[in-house]
Amino acid sequence: MLRDWLSVGVAMAAGLFMTVQYFLVSESANAAYRTVLLWMQIVFAFALIIGVIGVLRIHLKKLSRPGSGRIYSGTLLAGAVLMSVFGFSGGIERGSAFLWVFDNLQAPMQSTVFSLLAFYVASAAYRGFRARSMESAVLVIAALIVLIGRVPVGEWLSPHIPESADWILNVPALAAKRAILIGIGLGMIATSLKVIAGLERTYLGGR
Amino acid sequence: MNRPRQLSCLLSSLLPGLTALPVAAAETPADSLSGGWLAAGRNAELAGIILCVIALGVTAWLARRGRTPRLRSLPALDAIGNALGRATEQGTPVVYITGWGGDMARPTTMASMVILSEVAQNAAGMNCRLIFPSHDPLVASVAQETVQQAARTAGRPDWYRPDDVAFVSQSQLGYAAAVDGLMARERPGAVFLLGTFEGEALILAETAHQSRAVTIAGTDSTIQLSFLLVACDYTLIGEELFAASGLVAKDQTIAAAVWGQDWLRYLIITTLLAGGALFSIWGFNLGAWLTG
Amino acid sequence: MSAAPRRWVFAVMGAVVIGALLFRVGLPIRITSETRQVYEQLESLDSSDVVMISFDHEASSLPEIGPIGSAIIDHCLRRGTKIIGLALFSEGTAAGYSLLGDRARRAGAVEGEDWLYLGFRPQYAAAILGMGEDIPQVFETDYQGRPLSGTPLGMRVHDYRDIAIVVSLSDGSMPTYWVEYAGARYGARVVAALTAVMVTSFLPYLESGQLAGIVPGMKGAAEYEQLMGLPAAGTRGMDAQSAAHVVIAVLVVLGNIQAWSDRRRARRSP
Repeated sequence: MLRDWLSVGVAMAAGLFMTVQYFLVSESANAAYRTVLLWMQIVFAFALIIGVIGVLRIHLKKLSRPGSGRIYSGTLLAGAVLMSVFGFSGGIERGSAFLWVFDNLQAPMQSTVFSLLAFYVASAAYRGFRARSMESAVLVIAALIVLIGRVPVGEWLSPHIPESADWILNVPALAAKRAILIGIGLGMIATSLKVIAGLERTYLGGR
Repeated sequence: MNRPRQLSCLLSSLLPGLTALPVAAAETPADSLSGGWLAAGRNAELAGIILCVIALGVTAWLARRGRTPRLRSLPALDAIGNALGRATEQGTPVVYITGWGGDMARPTTMASMVILSEVAQNAAGMNCRLIFPSHDPLVASVAQETVQQAARTAGRPDWYRPDDVAFVSQSQLGYAAAVDGLMARERPGAVFLLGTFEGEALILAETAHQSRAVTIAGTDSTIQLSFLLVACDYTLIGEELFAASGLVAKDQTIAAAVWGQDWLRYLIITTLLAGGALFSIWGFNLGAWLTG
Repeated sequence: MSAAPRRWVFAVMGAVVIGALLFRVGLPIRITSETRQVYEQLESLDSSDVVMISFDHEASSLPEIGPIGSAIIDHCLRRGTKIIGLALFSEGTAAGYSLLGDRARRAGAVEGEDWLYLGFRPQYAAAILGMGEDIPQVFETDYQGRPLSGTPLGMRVHDYRDIAIVVSLSDGSMPTYWVEYAGARYGARVVAALTAVMVTSFLPYLESGQLAGIVPGMKGAAEYEQLMGLPAAGTRGMDAQSAAHVVIAVLVVLGNIQAWSDRRRARRSP
């Protein structure tokens, strides 16, 4: 209970200070603000360490249990240890083992996962983009114009296609996006004010 | 976290957008700290904060007096119970994802945590396993507390499994690959994608669909919203996520905040119309005037 | 959708993209106003200016971000504009260092004088705000651990007032934070170089003037290369992207035809 009140108190005090500081011209307030920015980075770095320790703990536990998932946990632990050894012993500059592994293993593997998007977009478009009503038919036609108009093949077919695609993106789509963004912005402002007022305590984890 | 800073900066970044008129925000530094003890060029943000405080304060006060408006029901929320029931019947787990794009400072993540608490309570009551893979150590730690507390509230503290609510990876596609693998192995009966998503959204939603899971999504990421609408069974659009958290928690403060946001929305619409009229008739740029 | 048609969809997409990469068609590339806007801003800079390039992306998006980054870096180096690189995503750190280092070495630029790589800082909001106050306080040393004050370029930059343009090479929402924190709070001029999937999210910021420009995905890279007169990876990727878009458009049409015929069959059957 005391811990909760302490957390809420720190959040409220920090919140009020940071809000007031934004509108003040004061060297001491500015110095305090700079210090807080540094603290934030330090605290986050420690949170990362805790996260990594958590991952290692879970996978060490999985490795010690029989099951088909052991190979994945073993690979993760081996990768974590090897990259740490490479980084600390050989450095991270050009020509180092660390950078070689990053450029030749990690980047291609992650790009492969990213490339899945092309396939998933295709299957989702085939499955979900159906003209079931007049409104969805308009959406499908707009999507087709934008799809073709944003690549050179659209220009090759007709200069009107890219022009129409630009209009769709810059007028109706932008208007809708702006409206959604403003709505989301208002939600964010409301949540922020509730945190400062001590009404929003989700960050305490459901207590 | 740096919420008030985010609040001030958010307001200052929203203001030019509100009036829909291009202003040279980037060429007129807002940081001209000169003259008096109040920073110059921030009057609009100050006025904006005061207006927000008034609107949200009044609606919160009215809510305490029992004058809260009724929030309309959302089909995606009604589907949560059915999805959990289906997963329990099938003996499969449910997977809850808050998205790679959101940290604990993001209001969408906070709203998602409120929904997570309700989902976890129901899942604990039904003895349905819940898996929460996280991309952020802070989100993982808050989620652990949330799920553990939900298990206690449901009277099933033994249901909570710490290993199921854990940090996975900060890498976007590393995270997506890990969650994809998890879904392929565990074949969840329901997948909740509620939070801020980026490029991983469609990868996760399509894999969930391939696993034949019921997919319930909601996000404030406008571009990912279009993917989720196409790929998921139910989708909460933008700020519906905030309203949803109020609905599931039956929390009067959240309902009051949604009401306050509606007041501010009317104010913005009026400002937009006035800005457009002023610019069209007299050539007066309200956006530039508001942002100094 | 059942597993069989999905496999066909994946197979057709894969075959068409690989085919387009192997056999070049060379379709004409239209320069959009967004890319031209960025090009002209960088073209207006000279050797007295400093551009900050933030590698706000993951290793996964390198095939798309790499050509955009290369084009922008090459442009700066050609103009003699100084470059300060940094990363706000841990994975962007090594990728940014490799990309910037490679391009700079090819152009014969001197590290510390013409370009400098600062490395990674966690907690992007605090890092962006902190650099508005004091860059050397956020990055005391460069990526190699050398004090910032020990390099001619490092000594020149104190905050965003010393930076002509901030370019965020991003596959996510990081440019939003640059706009909200560096742009709105400190008046930094921010340009976003984005993966195609993120472009429409940032058009409102471009329209309102909060972003000084956008380079839209692989197509933006191709356009930038055309403007510089140096066709490279972006231009080569355009045929494949065109082909992929056509496949998706055809699939949407086929999906609708199938749905329409299914509905018709359902109506006819008693």
